[in-house]
Amino acid sequence: MGKRKKVILPPALPPETPEEEFEVSDEDVEYFSENPKFTKFLAGIDRKKIDKHVTRVADKSEDEIERLYERRNRNDAPLDSRENDLQVDPVDALPIKTLDGKLQYRTTKKVKSEEKKASGELTGEEDAEKKGTSLIRLTKAERREKSKKEKKEAKKLKKDEDIAANSPKEKIHSEVLKEVEEEISAEVSFGEKKIKLAEIGMTLLEDPEANIRSLKELLEFCKDRDLQVVKLGLMSILAVFKDIIPSYRIRELTDKELAMPVSEAVRKTRYYEYTLLRSYKSYLQKLIELQKEAIFKQVVVRCMCTLLEAAPHFNLSEKLLAGTVRNISSSDDVIRKLCCEAIKSLFKNEGKHGGEGTVRAVRLIAQLVKKHHCQLHPDSLEVFLSLRFDEDLGKHENKAEEKNKFTKNKKGKQEPVKHLSPSEKKKSKQELIAKTREEVYADYKAVSFAPDSKERQRMQSDTLSAVFETYFRILKHAVDVSDPRFMSETSGSLAHPLLAPCLEGLGKFSHLIDLDFMADLMSCLKQLSGFSSGTYLQSKTFNVKDSGSGRSNNGLTVSERLQCCIVAFKVMKSNLDALNVDLQDFFVQLYNLLIEYRPYRDRGEVLAEALKTMLWDGRQHDMQRAAAFIKRLATFSLCFGSSEAMAALATLKQLLQKNTKCRSLLENDAGGGSISGLVGKYQPEATDPYLSGALASVLWELSLLSKHYNPSVSQMASNILSMANLKPNQNIVNPSLIALNPIQAFWESTVQKELSKPMNTKVPSSLKRKRKREQDTEYFVLDPEKMRNVDNEVIGEEEAKLRFEEHFKVLRDISENERLKGELNRTLASISLYDEFKREKREKEKSMGLKSGKKKAKVLVKRSSS
Amino acid sequence: MAKKLGKKARKFAKKGLQTVQKQKRKQRTFFKKKSAPRGRGLNGDAPDENDENLNRDQNISQDQNFSGAHLVDKTIGSLLGEEDEVELEDDFSDSDDYLPEDTECPYISENENENISRDDIARGTFQEENAEIKMQISKEKKKLDKLLAKDEEFAKFLESRRSQLEQYDRMVSDDEEGGGDEEEEEQEEQEEQTRQPVTQTTLDVWCWCVTEDPNSPALRNLLNLYHDASLYGVITSRNEKSAQIVSHEVYSRVINFVLSEADGIFRTLLGVPENSNAERIIMKLKSSKEWLNVGPLVKSYLKSSIKLLNQVTDTMLLAFLLFRLMSSVVFLHAYSSLGRRLIKILVRFWSTGEDQLSTSAFLLIKEVASQLSSDYFNICMKAMYRTFVARCKFVDDSNLKRIDFMKSSFLEITSLDVPQSYPVAVSSLQRLGDVVKHSSTTKKKEELMKINNWQYINCLNLWVKFICLNYKENNLQQLFDKAVRVIFGVTSLFTGPRFLPLKLKCAQMLNDLSLTSGHFIPVSSLVLECLDLTGEFTGKMDGDEEPRLKLSTLLKVPGNLLKSRRYQEECVRSSVEVLCAHFSQWSYHVSFPELSTIPLIVLKRCHEKATVESVRRLIKRFIDQAEQNRDFIQMKRDGVSFSPIDQTSIDNFLLLEKSNAKSSFTQFYASMLQNSQIRNMVQ
Repeated sequence: MGKRKKVILPPALPPETPEEEFEVSDEDVEYFSENPKFTKFLAGIDRKKIDKHVTRVADKSEDEIERLYERRNRNDAPLDSRENDLQVDPVDALPIKTLDGKLQYRTTKKVKSEEKKASGELTGEEDAEKKGTSLIRLTKAERREKSKKEKKEAKKLKKDEDIAANSPKEKIHSEVLKEVEEEISAEVSFGEKKIKLAEIGMTLLEDPEANIRSLKELLEFCKDRDLQVVKLGLMSILAVFKDIIPSYRIRELTDKELAMPVSEAVRKTRYYEYTLLRSYKSYLQKLIELQKEAIFKQVVVRCMCTLLEAAPHFNLSEKLLAGTVRNISSSDDVIRKLCCEAIKSLFKNEGKHGGEGTVRAVRLIAQLVKKHHCQLHPDSLEVFLSLRFDEDLGKHENKAEEKNKFTKNKKGKQEPVKHLSPSEKKKSKQELIAKTREEVYADYKAVSFAPDSKERQRMQSDTLSAVFETYFRILKHAVDVSDPRFMSETSGSLAHPLLAPCLEGLGKFSHLIDLDFMADLMSCLKQLSGFSSGTYLQSKTFNVKDSGSGRSNNGLTVSERLQCCIVAFKVMKSNLDALNVDLQDFFVQLYNLLIEYRPYRDRGEVLAEALKTMLWDGRQHDMQRAAAFIKRLATFSLCFGSSEAMAALATLKQLLQKNTKCRSLLENDAGGGSISGLVGKYQPEATDPYLSGALASVLWELSLLSKHYNPSVSQMASNILSMANLKPNQNIVNPSLIALNPIQAFWESTVQKELSKPMNTKVPSSLKRKRKREQDTEYFVLDPEKMRNVDNEVIGEEEAKLRFEEHFKVLRDISENERLKGELNRTLASISLYDEFKREKREKEKSMGLKSGKKKAKVLVKRSSS
Repeated sequence: MAKKLGKKARKFAKKGLQTVQKQKRKQRTFFKKKSAPRGRGLNGDAPDENDENLNRDQNISQDQNFSGAHLVDKTIGSLLGEEDEVELEDDFSDSDDYLPEDTECPYISENENENISRDDIARGTFQEENAEIKMQISKEKKKLDKLLAKDEEFAKFLESRRSQLEQYDRMVSDDEEGGGDEEEEEQEEQEEQTRQPVTQTTLDVWCWCVTEDPNSPALRNLLNLYHDASLYGVITSRNEKSAQIVSHEVYSRVINFVLSEADGIFRTLLGVPENSNAERIIMKLKSSKEWLNVGPLVKSYLKSSIKLLNQVTDTMLLAFLLFRLMSSVVFLHAYSSLGRRLIKILVRFWSTGEDQLSTSAFLLIKEVASQLSSDYFNICMKAMYRTFVARCKFVDDSNLKRIDFMKSSFLEITSLDVPQSYPVAVSSLQRLGDVVKHSSTTKKKEELMKINNWQYINCLNLWVKFICLNYKENNLQQLFDKAVRVIFGVTSLFTGPRFLPLKLKCAQMLNDLSLTSGHFIPVSSLVLECLDLTGEFTGKMDGDEEPRLKLSTLLKVPGNLLKSRRYQEECVRSSVEVLCAHFSQWSYHVSFPELSTIPLIVLKRCHEKATVESVRRLIKRFIDQAEQNRDFIQMKRDGVSFSPIDQTSIDNFLLLEKSNAKSSFTQFYASMLQNSQIRNMVQ
């Protein structure tokens, strides 16, 4: 600060020269006689102002620039004089950039330099400013580099305009530059830098080949002291790179290649690529370096993610990937979202990088999960759901081969039979064709970016193994934690943040799981869903203590446990033939979880999905089990909201349809026990569906449900009830309702959906008018007795009279009071006005004095101007 | 009209604009140093006047405290539109305030030398203060005189500033007026009439004349005098000339006489008997010639009465006035602007007045709403609803009763004419539903705040009650559906133990709706959630010193109470009550055993978990009762042969027992209700 405050003395004025000594050149005279307009400014020059600028403080930034300009002129002056008043060489002179971007070179004479000083204001302050900016940009290092480069370039490249504009600056002395840098205030320089950034960026985008070197200039901005400038610099470079990065990977040249003589064009390209790569590298380094600073974190992450999305194929993408994955579980929402999106787009657009990026990203995430002991943000694992695995990848190839073989074989078989005399020529021709084709194909493959299917298959299997490694790690971790030892430590609400996305992913990719893992996986899931092998009763007592909060003994929420069941079923379904695992335990789980479920605390859609995968989709169920679930679902829908009830009823209906024998539940058979199995009487609180004896019960719930406030629920209930009258082979009751699966049914009647149902605003005609014209009105809510009493409580006339009198007196006094106060205030105000009066009087006198003073001043002014 | 508007605008600018206020404040401090303490607001001994101001102040401060409530005010309150706010102001003073008088009417001059000198009963500080001020005035006057003598130019200067001084003077009195609304304006317009003061004797003569012959010209004089009386305080402070009333006897006499007789006189003049109903009078008003003569008189009477209502501050007097006005309500039919004004005042009394006053105001409102045309009904209802919305932002022990009263009286009015109130109910419920819908999509905190407050809940509750009250006789299925959806929407937005009171309130409303409509509404899930959550508390045993918690005045539980034993107890008790109400509704239904299955399982678990003995006992008792009833139904059910599809048989199942209401569960529920009532009373 102190530095800035220090007054920098402007250079001394040139020594006074008597007027006679000024030589006025002929040209000048001519010029001015030709353009009489221009003489005006000479006449109108405000000497004082000029003097002020030239001689004295005027520490405005504009003035400083002007001063610079002037000083430079002085520096150039000797040079000018040497050249004997002739037109200055355009390269040497300081060009002036006009607003429309043309460069004007100074063509005037030395003599006019003094005029120039003054006319600086007229010819365009902005130009001067711009020049100032182009001056400060050059740091020492840069200049050195530039001069070096220039030497190199001078021979080979024609100078384009920009370079032409830049090069003269070399000649300006370094001290001056330094001074300049210090002098210009930060604010102005910020604006200038912004403009400069934009300019460089534009030129780069216009013609990257020619201007590739400007990248370095841009990189310089990232070293600025001003944080804002650094941020802007980072973003501008990002924009540039996004645009100019080629769609191929730049290969490092071998020494041999370097040694070989190449054509001009190749060299140019090589140079271009080399520069690009180098600046890209340093840019990335800068990013990684800045990432550690909190202020830049968001900007840096944004840059990285955008780059990763735009150019995942390019060199050094590993670094980008590492940086992105590192932040994938950031606590900052913005950063995390950015990273996740970037990774997702990486997965989705595999064509851009040929799958390499995917493998790498998945591996990195797997490492991250391992490192953090599965304590990450769920978002970071959710990205896996965007992965796509091409199942047909390998098969297609194989099939083709097989087909080939087959046809060949066929041909081979058929050949001898059909074409006993195949012409050799034809055969050789065919072979030739095949050969060329293969060759072409091989060439194409070599050239094309896409890796061949084998390569892709390999990468895919790598990805898969990494994904499942992560998933299994999470599962195992969840199981381990459920060990009672850990319970107290991790009883927090997010004990297993990654479990939900993990289960979701397992469900999605269940068809890709290796059969070897299957048994392990199932036991894991079983354990997680709350079933501890065999000793169910034990776990039940355990449950009683903890499940109040919706958590079982292993600390999982109901939704998570439901998800476990879903995953198990999905896995089973996609590997139906290969495995023979009893899913009975999961049914038991579901049966009990139905009671644990609480709307809004647990995710209803998960429940609906569980109902769908486990009950709705399934084939025919065991009758006992079906009956138990039918009963439980009916009871369940009596207790919970309409969306849950709808999901349950949809499932129930499907079950009844598939298990026709269970329709006996709809009827109150006196001797229902005929088909009931082991248990003669229904046990509603039983935890095992097989032991509930549900077959002996009657679905009385449906009668109450048909009174449900929600019309769709009541309709569904009556619909189901009407199934009792159908014959066993008759199925369809109402085709429109059949189509509804539990998930659809759930979403159909959520609160939000219900709320957005339009309301008929028309007044129904059946409304009754209750208006009474009679005096003795009745009351609906209020106590009529009390109302009547109120009348009696009203005071009598006598008391009213007294009270009115009192009231009058008060009013009278108050008004009297007000009147008096008003008077008092008026008087007081009058007195206080006296002060004002005196003041005014004084001012009048003063102004009289002033007027005469002004007159004097006017006279003075006149005199001085004349 | 335009001129008046301009005037209004100017006045508003003078009073309301921020810049002006700022300026005023500056000026005031400038003068304050010199002026005597001013403003009756500062005087402690006029509590009646201050009462209202105080109330208002309280409101304001409350509003400031809970700025969150403003959000809702806009959404819920705006549903009626502001259209009639503007209307209220106009055409009140469009005609002359005074009736033309007959000159022949006797004015008896003061010869018996009535005792005008003020009775010297102790009248508190006003008199003392007045005397003091008088002293001060004379002192200051002397000073001023001195100054004037000192500098002649000052007199001129003072003259030039006269207008400014006067303006300032007016400003001061404006400030003090405060609640005086539009009145001053009228006075400004008023021509100055030279009016003789009326003595008691004159008044007696007039009264006698009027009682003898209702057509007597004295009636006009009387009404004019009544008008004066109604404006007494305002007139005297403004211009002393027109004060006809000089003694308190005249004042009270004229008011009393006019109030008690006017209605009868008008009826005789119009030729309608005393007890004839509104329709006939209105018919008469429309057709008869007499109305041309009587109309202005009636108008003057009504107008003056309304002004009087504005002036008088004593609650008892106000109640008296309202009571007297009751019979003349029908005349308002002819003057809608007066009616609006009256309603405005009435609603104010209804919402802020003391017990008796608000009830009287309500009775009068009801009279207006039921006797006059449907326009009045609409005005009344909307004004009441708006006021209710504005006043129900906060609920605590002190205003619980008032809000209840406001709710039920509003229901009284709306139930008078369901077809008319139906659209209002529809739009209000829709508005409430929109708020929920919006919140459920955004889930922002401030959006949730719009719902989790008393204003919202009270409004919802109001309409739920409206539906319950009128469901049976009318087809309110639409409203019912919407209300249930909105309530479920509200419950879906809040989870966690802190919102238990809110949830329980919603469950209660659902129970009410279910009971009146006969539809089945699954309430148990809400209660189960509450019970689950209560299980999480670690019941501390040191809670005995804690104050008794009242869930009825809580929506969201403050964090410090969350873990307290009292709260846990209270929650369980309320949950059990709600569940009990739900069960008792279906206690005779065939599927009661199934209905109770899941809740019983959860309750049993809860019972095992509970550590507090009282909670355990409570739950245990409820479980026993429910199981008993379950077994009872099961037993009965085993004996029947119909199937679930047979709806009529199901409806007839245990009908006899139901009508007798002898089952133990019904009795249990009744006793539980009684207990909770007693508990609430004790608090």
